[in-house]
This record gives sequence, structure tokens and C-alpha cells, in this order.
Amino acid sequence: MIIIKPKIDFEVSVEAELTPELATKSVEEVKKFKVYYGNRIVELGELFEIRKEGDDKKLVFEGDFSRVKWIGTKMVDGEIVVKGSVGANCGAFMKGGRILVEGNADDWLGIEMAGGEIIVKGNAGNLIGCAYYGDAVGMTGGRIVIEGNAGNYIGEKMNGGEIIIKGNAGDFIGTEMRAGVIEIHGSCGFVGGDMRGGEIRIKGSFELLPTFRKTEKGWVGDVNVKGEGVIKQI
Amino acid sequence: MLWIKNGIVVDPKNKINLEKMDIFVKNGKIVPESEIKKGDCKVIDASGKLVVAGGVDMHAHIAGGKINTGRTMRPEEMRVVRNIAGKFRASVGRVLLTAPAIGYEYAKMGYTTSFEAATPPVSSLHTHEELDSIPMIDKAALPVFGNWHLVFKCIEEKNIEKLKALVAWAIERSKGFGVKVVNPGGVEAWMYGGNVKNLDDQVPGFGVTPREIITWLIRANEELGLPHSVHLHCNNLGVPGNYQTTIESIKLAKGFKNEKRQVLHVTHVQFNAYSGSSWRDFGSGAAEIAKLVNSMDNVTIDMGQPIFGHATAMTGDAPFQFTLHKLLGARWSNKDTEVETGAGIVPIGYLPNNPVHAVQWAIGLELGLLTESDKVALTTDYPNGGPFTEYPYIMAMLMSKKMREGELKKVHQYVQKATNLPSIDVEKTLYEVIHMTRSLPARILGLENKGHLGIGADADIAIYNLNPLETDFSNGFEKVYKAFKVAEFTIKGGEVIVRNGELLKEVYGRTFWVDARKKVDLEVVMQDVKNYFQYYSLQLSNYGVEERWLKKPERLEVV
Ligand SMILES: [Zn+2]
Repeated sequence: MIIIKPKIDFEVSVEAELTPELATKSVEEVKKFKVYYGNRIVELGELFEIRKEGDDKKLVFEGDFSRVKWIGTKMVDGEIVVKGSVGANCGAFMKGGRILVEGNADDWLGIEMAGGEIIVKGNAGNLIGCAYYGDAVGMTGGRIVIEGNAGNYIGEKMNGGEIIIKGNAGDFIGTEMRAGVIEIHGSCGFVGGDMRGGEIRIKGSFELLPTFRKTEKGWVGDVNVKGEGVIKQI
Repeated sequence: MLWIKNGIVVDPKNKINLEKMDIFVKNGKIVPESEIKKGDCKVIDASGKLVVAGGVDMHAHIAGGKINTGRTMRPEEMRVVRNIAGKFRASVGRVLLTAPAIGYEYAKMGYTTSFEAATPPVSSLHTHEELDSIPMIDKAALPVFGNWHLVFKCIEEKNIEKLKALVAWAIERSKGFGVKVVNPGGVEAWMYGGNVKNLDDQVPGFGVTPREIITWLIRANEELGLPHSVHLHCNNLGVPGNYQTTIESIKLAKGFKNEKRQVLHVTHVQFNAYSGSSWRDFGSGAAEIAKLVNSMDNVTIDMGQPIFGHATAMTGDAPFQFTLHKLLGARWSNKDTEVETGAGIVPIGYLPNNPVHAVQWAIGLELGLLTESDKVALTTDYPNGGPFTEYPYIMAMLMSKKMREGELKKVHQYVQKATNLPSIDVEKTLYEVIHMTRSLPARILGLENKGHLGIGADADIAIYNLNPLETDFSNGFEKVYKAFKVAEFTIKGGEVIVRNGELLKEVYGRTFWVDARKKVDLEVVMQDVKNYFQYYSLQLSNYGVEERWLKKPERLEVV
């Protein structure tokens, strides 16, 4: 297990593609890992205190990481625990393993994620489990759970996996969704535009587009794209 | 001063084929040995290496509204980092490159000139701003004329003097190089949601037909004596059965003659060489087109070769772009431009196992192989057919049947019955392929100092790590491809700018523009121009590009 703590308050964002794989290396090697601080390439050890305890494949982030982007990107196994808030693109392209964020998560959480699990105890930003701008497919597998509220654009172009939001969410839920499940326990805005497949379940209130038809399964659409997606009140 | 020693030179314009010789450079030009002092020369030892003129791309979309809209709507194209800012400019792009990347990638490949193939006159300031941001190469832009209300009016009135004055005025105002025609009449019809299908369809709202637009513009172009001929993107592009329209359009060149060059250049013919009546019975009409072009001495074409992988369709052919968007369900951007033209942009990809794409790929090669090498230039219609960085793939394919046989196994087998490619035995020689990428495009464009290594030519030179005397082009295609991908030396205007594919020095090339105002009386058209400016969103006094705004303009005056 590697424990990472910021040495300073960051003036600009840090871009650090840190995965549990690092925990297999020595502290000295970890300190030399290259990250961006603004437009400069620096060593991880310049910005963070680094400690090693035991050999499990686990990273623990202590402190405020809300300006640190790309934590857990492309990770395939192991565990990440962020004891504060985390910056954008956390868990992007993730294939396996587990990320637990005890604070809040910024935008682009779990984009194009294919497997594994992300749990956020606080709130999350926009664009959870989406496709990156211009890409054709968003999240294809795995699970994202937000205990608090979430922003706009949840599961855009999603093609598998599961997103559960225990609080409220904003607009554009499951836009162009093809498969998978989005569950919102609170209320949200517009849902399912250009949805082709998959299921969106909502406990609270939501805005339905006029292009969904009522059936026994729930609201089915989006008719505009001959979609067979389902929106259900639970 | 430069002394390129002992290279094996191929220079088709000067009928030099695989001769071991020295090349001398002074003040950016190729000079005879007598004009230099050998002691003062930087010497490049080119022993056992191929020395040719820098490549000339006669048709690519490298600057202006279309490629920029393409970049905006395709953020996913911008995630490939090619250069981090430092000695050279930051540059990114997968196939759709940023302006610096375009210059750098051409230079790395040994190309030193490229022409933007379509700019609406009204937006040519933007085009020039972007051309000025492309380092390393010489460039120019072709303004479009085939759907301009003013052009229609001159033709309706059958007033050739007025049309010539308009063309000369517009080329000067746009700091353009020649006359581009895109789907004549069809883009105007698109303003009402339509298109034209035949050369004799009437353009909505005007008493003109595509046949008249093409013929009158050829006549105006030839009477003005512009360096380049009319450069035509035919009607019905991308439509099964369109090869017949292409054949009819090519025949419109009959009756015109020019001693120096063709009178009609038909561009990216692959997209206009389809037989059949739908995508189900779609096939190749390349052989018929090649046969016709071979039989005429005043028409040239370029390939528009698709490359498997990512591409972006961007043409002034707005109705075609809409059809493509509907066909693929892909993103689409439409651009309508004052009363001059329109355009559209759609992301595409060419997949080997898609029967339509496989046939398109085969048609491009058929055109390259079956057309005489003196009449077909090598292009991908970048980025419509794919990246220009794959020109070496096309060069190697044209020279090796064995390479084609290997590639044919990887594509959808529908090509076997829908095209002639599998049965074509032609293997172009190195001399022919160097002509198709250098001296021929330069001649087609009317650039006398480009594309060759004769005395007085611009010292744009590429040296490749390939000994042509010891290379088996039929079997050694992988080596040939690799050698042409990365120039060992690229020399631009006498300066070494690339060494072994590494950028050495950033230079900015010239922008050529053509001034034919002396050949006309501009006054005959100015009243009409003023009237039409009621429909423009800008004043006539603010229209056009001043020469002093360009970084390195070079005026070619027609007298
Ligand atoms: Zn083009």
C-alpha cells in the first residue's frame, strides 16, 4: 500500500495517471513517477509525500486531491481510496479494481469505463460514465455509485454497466444510451434523449420528452431514433 | 550553397532516369556547376540514394473554413500529439491535422508544395490566415466558381468578357490561383434542398446548366491564359452510376486546346467513377474513364485514393455531404456561403471488410494503374480519402502487383467481381510514380519551377534512403514504402529542413497567387458586382485579401 499526501496547495492542476500498479514498486521508484504540474513535467515526489506500508495493491490518497486529475485512469485491478475529494477524469477508461472517494468527485468520472467499481460518498460532477467528446461509445461495463447528488450528462452514449445515483441528478440522463442501467433515487431533469436501448429507473420526479410512448414496461423510446430504451418510475 | 553529390537522380521533366549525378544549389535555386564554388558548399553525400524533386500535392484540403469546422466537430481527431511546443510549434491531429502539423508531416515525407483545393472567395481571408500558419511548404488556394450567382449571370447573358473580368477580379481579390468548380449548379440547387443530376438540368432560379457552367468557365480560363486549367469536381459525386456523368463532363474539354497543359483537370475521380444503380450493385467505372482520358490529350485527373482508416469528408459539394450524413448516420455540418457556394463536413472511416469501401479503394488504384502516368496525379483528396501521409502506400502499391495481391486478400471479396483491380498486371515504374507525385502535378498546376531538378528550378529536393538501382520494386515493396514515408533529407528553397524524418529548421514557404487583371477590363463587371453586394453580409470595400496581409506572397502575373 502506498500513501500519498500533497505537500503544497496546488496553484494549477496536477495530471497524474496513478494506478494501484504503483504499489508494486519501491518508494523511490514511486517518487520518480512523472506527472504534469500545469505544463511542467515533475516527479511525483516533488509534489507529494509518499509512504509505503505493506505490499497490497492499493493507493491511499490523504488530503485534498480536487485539483489532481486522472487518478485511477486505465486501472485494471487493485484498490484506490481517496480520503478527500478527487479531480476530474477519475477512473477514466478503467477496466477493473475499485475506487472509493470519501469526498466529492469532479467531472468526467469513470468515462468510457469498461469494468470495476467506483463509489463516491459525496457528490459527483457532470459527465459521469460518458463518452469523451467525439467518441462513439461511453461506459461499457462496471459500476458507479454516487451516494450524494450528480450533475448533468450522466451515462451519455452508455453501452453497458450500471450507474446508481442515490441523490438527485441534473439534465440529460442517458442521452444516446444503447445498453446498461442508470438508477436515480432522487429527482432529475430531461431523460433519455435519442436513447436506443438500456434502462433508466427513477424514484423521484423527472422530465420526459414527448418522444417516448407508454407501455407496460414503462416509457419506451426515443421514437426519434427508433429506440427501444426503457424509462421506469421505481 | 549546396552540393548534392553522387545521388541517383530521377527527374522526369528533364528526362533523367536513374542517372548518377550531382545537383548544385545557390540562392534557393538549382544552378549549373559553373555557378558555385565547391569549396564554399555544404556537401551532402547522396551515394546510393534516390534524389528527386520535392513532392507536389495538387489537391488537398489544408486550410480554410472546411478543415477548421472539421477540427471543431471532431475533438477525437485532436488527441494525437505530434509535437510538443519547443523549438517547433505544438501540433496535434490523427488525420485532421492542425496547421503546423500539416507543414511538418509534408516535409518529413519529402513534400514541399501543397494546394488548398477549394476556398469560397468570400472566406479566402480565413484560408490565407491558415495557409500562413502552415510552415515548411509552398502553397496556394483555388477559389470556387461553379455555384456563384455572379458567374451564372455572366453565363446567362452569354457575355464572355464579363465572365473573364469576374474570374480575374475574384482570383485577385481572393489571392487565389485558379478556377475550381465543385458540383456546378448542384450546390445552388441545394440552397432549396435539391441537387442537379444531369449536365443539362437547369439550375433553379437561373437559365444555366452544369454543361454551360463548365464549358464557359473553361473558355474564360483559356482566354485568360491562367497557369492552371479549370479544376473540376464533377456532378453526382458519390452516387452509383456517376461514371457516366464524369465521362460526359470530360468530353466537354473537346474543342479546347492549350500547348502547355490540359484544359480540364478532373479531380478525385475515384469518387466519380462508380457504375451500378445502387449500393447493392455498385461497381467500378474506372476502366471506361481511364480509357477516355488516355484517348484525349487535353485532360488530366487525380486519384482521390481512399486509405483504410479514419478520414473526414469535406467538400464544397453540400448536397453530397447531406446524402453521406444520411447514409452513415454520422455527424454533419453544413456551410452556406453568401451567394457564392456551400459546403459540408461529415466524419467517415474506410473499413477493409465493408464492400463499398473496398470497391472505392480498388477504384482509386484502378485509376492510378490504368490511366497513362502522364495524365493521373497521386492524391487522397486529403482528408476525404484519408491522410496524405500515406502517399508512400499508394506509390508502393502502384509499383508492385505482389503488394496489391497481398492487400486484396485483406479486403471484402466483393472487389473481385465489382472491379478490375485483381486482373491488372501493370506495375508503374519508379520514373512514372515520381512523375505522378512531382513533375506531373507541377505541370498540371502550371508551376514551371516546381516538380523538377533542372537549372532554374526551385531547390525543393527530397533524398530518400533507397538505392533504386538495387531495389526490386515488385518484391521489395515494404522497403519502398518505408523509404518514401520518411525522407532522409528534405530541402526547401535550398535549406535542409528535415534529416531522417527529424525536423531541423522551421521555414515558411511562399503563397502563389495569379494576377490576370491585365487581360481584362474590370469595369465591364463591376456594376454587376456592386449590385450583388446587396446580398452579401459585408461591403464590397471590405471584400478580399490584400497582398500585404500575406506572409510571403508571390504574384504570378498573366500577360
Ligand atoms: Zn477535394
